[in-house]
Amino acid sequence: MKRFLAAIAAAALLTSLTAFAAYPERPIKMIVPWAAGGDTDNIFRPFAPQFQKHVGQTVVIANVGGASGTKGAKEAKESPPDGYTLYSVHEYIHSTYYTGVADVNYTDFEPICLISSTPSVLTASPKTPWKDWKALLEDAKKRPGQITVGATLGSTSHFFPALVEKAAGIKFKYVSYEGLAPRMNAILGGHIDLTDSNLTQKGKVEAGQLRFIAIATEKRNAEIPNVPTLKELGVNVVYDVNRGLLAPKGTPADVLAKLESACAAAAKEPAFAEALKKQGTAARYLGRKEYSQWLKKNDDLNKTLAKDLGLLKR
Amino acid sequence: MYELLLAGIANILQLKYLLPLFVGTLVGVIGGALPGVTIALTIIVVLPFTFGLDPLQGLAAMTGVYVGGSAGGLITACLLGIPGTPSAIATTFDGFPMARNGEPGRAMWLGIWASFFGGLLGGVFLIGATAPLAAIALEFGPWEFFSLFVFALSMVAGLTGASLTKGLLSGAIGLVITVMGNDPVMGAARLTLGIGFLEGGIPFLPVLIGVFAFAQIMTDIEKMRAIGTVGIAERIPTLVVSQLRVIGEIFSRPFLLLWTSFIGLLVGVLPAIGGSAANMMAYDQAKKLSRHPERFGTGTPEGIIASESANNANVGGSLVTIMAFGIPGDIVTAVMLGAMTIHGIQSGPLFISQQPKLAYGIFAAYLVAHVLMVIIIAFSARPMLRLTTVPKSMLIPIVLVLCVIGAYSLNNTMSIVYVLLVFGVMGYALVKFGFPLAPLILGVVLGDQIEINMIRAIMTDSDPWLFFTRPISGGLLAASVVSVAFALWQHHRQRKRGAPADGDTDF
Repeated sequence: MKRFLAAIAAAALLTSLTAFAAYPERPIKMIVPWAAGGDTDNIFRPFAPQFQKHVGQTVVIANVGGASGTKGAKEAKESPPDGYTLYSVHEYIHSTYYTGVADVNYTDFEPICLISSTPSVLTASPKTPWKDWKALLEDAKKRPGQITVGATLGSTSHFFPALVEKAAGIKFKYVSYEGLAPRMNAILGGHIDLTDSNLTQKGKVEAGQLRFIAIATEKRNAEIPNVPTLKELGVNVVYDVNRGLLAPKGTPADVLAKLESACAAAAKEPAFAEALKKQGTAARYLGRKEYSQWLKKNDDLNKTLAKDLGLLKR
Repeated sequence: MYELLLAGIANILQLKYLLPLFVGTLVGVIGGALPGVTIALTIIVVLPFTFGLDPLQGLAAMTGVYVGGSAGGLITACLLGIPGTPSAIATTFDGFPMARNGEPGRAMWLGIWASFFGGLLGGVFLIGATAPLAAIALEFGPWEFFSLFVFALSMVAGLTGASLTKGLLSGAIGLVITVMGNDPVMGAARLTLGIGFLEGGIPFLPVLIGVFAFAQIMTDIEKMRAIGTVGIAERIPTLVVSQLRVIGEIFSRPFLLLWTSFIGLLVGVLPAIGGSAANMMAYDQAKKLSRHPERFGTGTPEGIIASESANNANVGGSLVTIMAFGIPGDIVTAVMLGAMTIHGIQSGPLFISQQPKLAYGIFAAYLVAHVLMVIIIAFSARPMLRLTTVPKSMLIPIVLVLCVIGAYSLNNTMSIVYVLLVFGVMGYALVKFGFPLAPLILGVVLGDQIEINMIRAIMTDSDPWLFFTRPISGGLLAASVVSVAFALWQHHRQRKRGAPADGDTDF
């Protein structure tokens, strides 16, 4: 018995020693800055188990929602840069910075990888009279500033309709509905007229509860071949939401390299690809270097957008 | 529809589905019973274990946790006076006094059967009325939601004990707590005192755990000292009661059961209110409609029936909204929705017609879980009751640790634990000064929603009169005024009669 205990103690010591030597030795927290069941959550939740498999440690998703997703951003920024806190992000990090909603900038983080890209679809409530973009445009010109759009203010769902506004020379009225789920509730009930959504809402469109007006891609999407692109309607807007992983600034390079390789392997898993397809999202993988360049480019673009739309606050 | 349901039940009774459903319900009951471990936490803990199962197995397990958790809270609520989950808060009001009056078995079985029948009534609605009920909820715009929440909050006036002023003040403190942090629209910081983590606002759960569990434990410690019973095990009173008599007690009040189940159901169908408000609203209704409102808080069966039937009917109602529209109402339903997505289910209006087997499988799991819940509590009641015989000096630290773990695991941050500590001390102080705590909790639950819906209403249309001229909204606001007026009148009548106010069971 004594020898048995000694063996266990030795084994425990050994494992703790080896664990001390190599990252990661304890569970990794992945901050999703919105509620569970939202679009971002739905993409990172199937990603986490695949990522876990390749990084070799438990990955726990922490939903830290609130204040247009900036509460989670702040928590991620203030976390120690040790690779045990990761942060799931999309373009809102740029837009909320430039519209003055948050002080957190993308430069407060180290990029790890980009994993997905979701095209935006301009979506109307079935209680509106518009069957297509032409009818919407005519009505919008007649009643400037009266058509209501549900949006997370300062975030992507605000930028996308604002771009449409500008390109088509019309004016909407914005109502704060944070996150896709409350927006869907409001638009199904006809309490808002328009919103930014995506292919995940296809089921509701087929049931006649929502209307897809136009998709913001270069070409029509095979899943919804009847929905025109904004471009072919003469509205020059292409917009998608790209999701990736960041780590707090100052995370060691070897840790980042380990995370990057785990991310690359996880992004290639067929189970994850399958989950993305259900979310109406395309896989889009970029490694650290490419993602870093992409972020820089995207940041400039969002600053320009915020300025053009009259939302720039810094 | 009936063939589908029968096929669904036959399906779920196979061992491969029954086993996860049973385990889920058992874990749910335990999680629901343990103070500081909420249904949300239990469901979050269980979710990863369902990843490897097929969709119906996984969802059966999750449904079991939800049903078991909603009922499990009554065990500690009745026997310890601490709600195991927020949805059992109102059960403590009468369940605990009844248990202390020497009838713990009666209190618990009343709760179990009320949960069972309330849950079954909820199930009837879940299966039969999914589409029309959800259609009503969707008609609610921001004006209606604003008025509904104001109505809920004003009903708190009826819940307050001796002093209406203290009750209203307590509710106001709750509302002020929700104002702290960034505003919900443009993120401007309010009342943050320059402390970083306050910018995100104060989460509801640590406030609840702190204010309720901590204040309860502190008062327990005081009593322990006063009586000097440290470490002395109490005698286990018998839990055996005549089941027929208890069921008879419930069915002799058919209107109460139907009405409170209906309230629970309605609150469940409407997004963003949740079980924690359902049981209190139902309790308040039962008290107002009772011929003996003064008996509430002293161990009356009506109070237990109201709270427990409402919180289980609420599960049925929330499932309606998640399954039909994919709109989560609170943390628990958000995780349930996440579970559906993980298991590859696109919930929405097309779900039932496109995947009837799965949908009716979930309905069947919901019904069977209620039977399992009764069996599980019947057999685990004794071990659970031993919780009351464990010396307080052992139980209190365990409960405190569970509270802290529960708060910490909410999103794995220490700041939540500090929030818990602050509100624990504050809750204790409020109890000492005779403030009821229920209005504070309801204020915290509803404050954010009241604010955001008011902002949305005004952003949609700048005309403030719409709050009064939209019929449902106007009706709800009128009901709020009537509710406060009625409470005032009741207080006035009580004072005239000189009825003693019950201070001890106030919160």
